[in-house]
Amino acid sequence: MSDSTTTHTVRAYDKELEILGRKIAEMGGIAEKMLADAMDSLANLDTDLARATVSHDPRLDLLQRDIEEQAILTIAKRQPLAVDLREVIATIRISGDLERVGDLAKNIAKRAIKISSEMRIPRAIIGLKSMYETASILLKDVLDAYALRDAERARAVWMRDAELDALEDSVFRDLLTFMMEDPRNISFCTHLLFCSKNIERIGDHSTNIAETVVYLVTGENLPTERPKGRPDMSDFSTTVNA
Amino acid sequence: MNSDAPLPQKLTIRNLNFYYGDSLALKNISLPFYAHKVTALIGPSGCGKSTLLRVLNRMYDLYPRQRAEGEVLLDGENILAPQQDLNLLRSRVGMVFQKPTPFPMSIYENIAFGIRLYEKLPKSELDDRVETALKGAALWNEVKDKLHASGLALSGGQQQRLCIARTVAIQPEVILFDEPCSALDPISTAKVEELIDELKDTYTIIIVTHNMQQAARVSEYTAFMYLGDLIEFDVTSRLFTTPERQETQNYITGRFG
Repeated sequence: MSDSTTTHTVRAYDKELEILGRKIAEMGGIAEKMLADAMDSLANLDTDLARATVSHDPRLDLLQRDIEEQAILTIAKRQPLAVDLREVIATIRISGDLERVGDLAKNIAKRAIKISSEMRIPRAIIGLKSMYETASILLKDVLDAYALRDAERARAVWMRDAELDALEDSVFRDLLTFMMEDPRNISFCTHLLFCSKNIERIGDHSTNIAETVVYLVTGENLPTERPKGRPDMSDFSTTVNA
Repeated sequence: MNSDAPLPQKLTIRNLNFYYGDSLALKNISLPFYAHKVTALIGPSGCGKSTLLRVLNRMYDLYPRQRAEGEVLLDGENILAPQQDLNLLRSRVGMVFQKPTPFPMSIYENIAFGIRLYEKLPKSELDDRVETALKGAALWNEVKDKLHASGLALSGGQQQRLCIARTVAIQPEVILFDEPCSALDPISTAKVEELIDELKDTYTIIIVTHNMQQAARVSEYTAFMYLGDLIEFDVTSRLFTTPERQETQNYITGRFG
């Protein structure tokens, strides 16, 4: 683990790393809020909120570019090694994942606007809501794991992503049923299908971040294969409640 | 390393203690140097890395009140043994210093001088050896038309490569570099680093450097020393990305003292 109590002899170096970490935290906050707002706008067919959500995205893009530029500059200036090197690489990777989370949330918000006039079955959204709940917990947990440099917490997120895959499966089956019942359902159900895919992808990005946090803290990479597919949920209940 | 077979050790240090008078400068060091590999010794000033280098060719014997205890095995034979022939040892273990130290004589003589100390060669063979050494040190193309000009007229980087040529000329098995680039500009430094990379096919190389990035670039193994102790020894790629010891981490990331 990095010894955060020991500072660099060159204090400006500490400052640079600190700023990078702060910008990641800011990106995380925006991404979380965008995801929550996108889901609310979808659930309540609130087009104003959806538009506001879309408008947050440029800020996220800007922050990502900032982080990348500053990280590159830090590499050029300081030639970081060991935990510092992993720190800088981690900020580059995590900012990329968070930027994508923002894009996916934005996409959900845009679809909320599109289906606001044709939404016929409010209960079609229930499955998406539970996907959202899981995804937002994963995102929050992994951001906490990053802030606390907690590899165990990150590893738990990494294990739990399979839950989201299982939920996506059941949402898919539900939406398929609605579409078969009545062709008029097809249009908005297709949008909802994309939304569920987006939430599932957000889970993947949380998993990526979890891998990065484990690398940052331990210097080790998690195996390339993570628990996939539709597992027996009891396998994960321990990590869920941990 | 993808093979599990242990690498052959050219030099092996076992339980080495070193004293300057009464003060203990190296504390119970045990360390392998693998054949045809580059091993870097890093650590803050006064950590003992240069002292360690000076033990490996018994340079310390030139000074009174300095002594070593323990074993340093070169191909399995203890070079600290009193009966060790020091001239022979220094022909097998060559050394390149921090500041270029050309002799005040011609480029040719700088190299021929060392060879003559150990061997009597006919002129044509000597010429060949000088040429091979200069080529080996990547200096030949720059000096082949002025072999009889003074070695002191060369640039700092060329002088350092001349010293490397002089070391290579006596065909040693191990080459010790004591901060070979600290007085050189970045281009000359790059040339010396490139040279070290080529030389390791033929020699076992040990380099002391204050430049961490240089250690990371040129070496396959790295030993971190502090206050006379060996703190950590590992494959370079691991030591510079995920060191085991907190002291190593603090040093290589610039969090020391």
